[in-house]
Amino acid sequence: MSRQDPGQAQGPDPGMDQDTEQKGFRLLGILDVQSVPCARESVLYGAGGGLALGLLHFLSTSRVRRSYDVGFAGFFITTLGSWFYCRLNSAKLRAQERVFKQGVRNKVLYQGTSIDPTTEPTQRSPPSAS
Amino acid sequence: MAHPAQLGFQDAASPVMEELLHFHDHALMIVFLISTLVLYIIVAMVTTKLTNMFILDSQEIEIIWTILPAIILILIALPSLRILYLMDEINNPHLTVKAIGHQWYWSYEYTDYQEIAFDSYMVPTQDLSPGQFRLLEVDHRMVLPTEAPIRVLVTAEDVLHSWAVPALGVKMDAVPGRLNQTAFIASRPGVFYGQCSEICGANHSFMPIVVEAVPLKHFQDWSTLMLEDASL
Repeated sequence: MSRQDPGQAQGPDPGMDQDTEQKGFRLLGILDVQSVPCARESVLYGAGGGLALGLLHFLSTSRVRRSYDVGFAGFFITTLGSWFYCRLNSAKLRAQERVFKQGVRNKVLYQGTSIDPTTEPTQRSPPSAS
Repeated sequence: MAHPAQLGFQDAASPVMEELLHFHDHALMIVFLISTLVLYIIVAMVTTKLTNMFILDSQEIEIIWTILPAIILILIALPSLRILYLMDEINNPHLTVKAIGHQWYWSYEYTDYQEIAFDSYMVPTQDLSPGQFRLLEVDHRMVLPTEAPIRVLVTAEDVLHSWAVPALGVKMDAVPGRLNQTAFIASRPGVFYGQCSEICGANHSFMPIVVEAVPLKHFQDWSTLMLEDASL
């Protein structure tokens, strides 16, 4: 082992992340739809849902302003709904991933030992008297 | 570490920080939707031809704009409180480190097994090597093992300081005469930077914190080296 202090390793390259950060597109200047998980899908579904609802309302009632209102309400509800649905699914996936990683770690740690989680417990016969 | 002109959070290096990032995304989406709603209402109010000079009240809309914000606040509060209680859990730490704030440097003590203690001063700008970060590098980093719960006891020798590492989602005030406890798990190896977060005098901006998370084997080698250096 070299006597070099391990506390002097080089840090990450700062230039690498800057390009990615600059390419992010922020809706209203606040919501980065590219880097926030589920954001892009939610906004797209919301936009599509709002457009469809507004158009349907206009085609059935010919009321322009009310159709705008219905369209926006559709956007709001569809975005919120798809956001919660996507986030719930991704939270479940993350929980499963944590359990899986812990399982893999336990398998690696305890493989070949008596507490290996992948081996079935065997019944031991009592020692015979001699 | 943060790159120049960065606005958002740094990448998470601990499970708590990951949860904080997810909560931030959740709150930001709600903020975005509310902003869109307000913008739409403003445009609708400005462009409408309808006027009513004799309106006194409207029970329906008042019910809506009371109930809806209450629901939104509950949607924000529930995950927030969950993370708040998650941050207070201390689950059998494998290692305890003491971080002591001084004017103007940090000192660290690892006293679980044998005594390892060292000071951590900022590297002056003129002494930096190429590739090192100005006002962030230190001469002795706080080295910790990855994937292990770590407890940090934070205190100060003189005035108020604050031990903060954004990538780990940790900030704890260093109060003279008081021991504050925080805990975290470094999920991945790396070098994580922080700065003193409580005004403490002339060189408050020049006492950074650097945590180097390494695999356990390397942490053992480092602690062996430190003990050998201390005995010389």
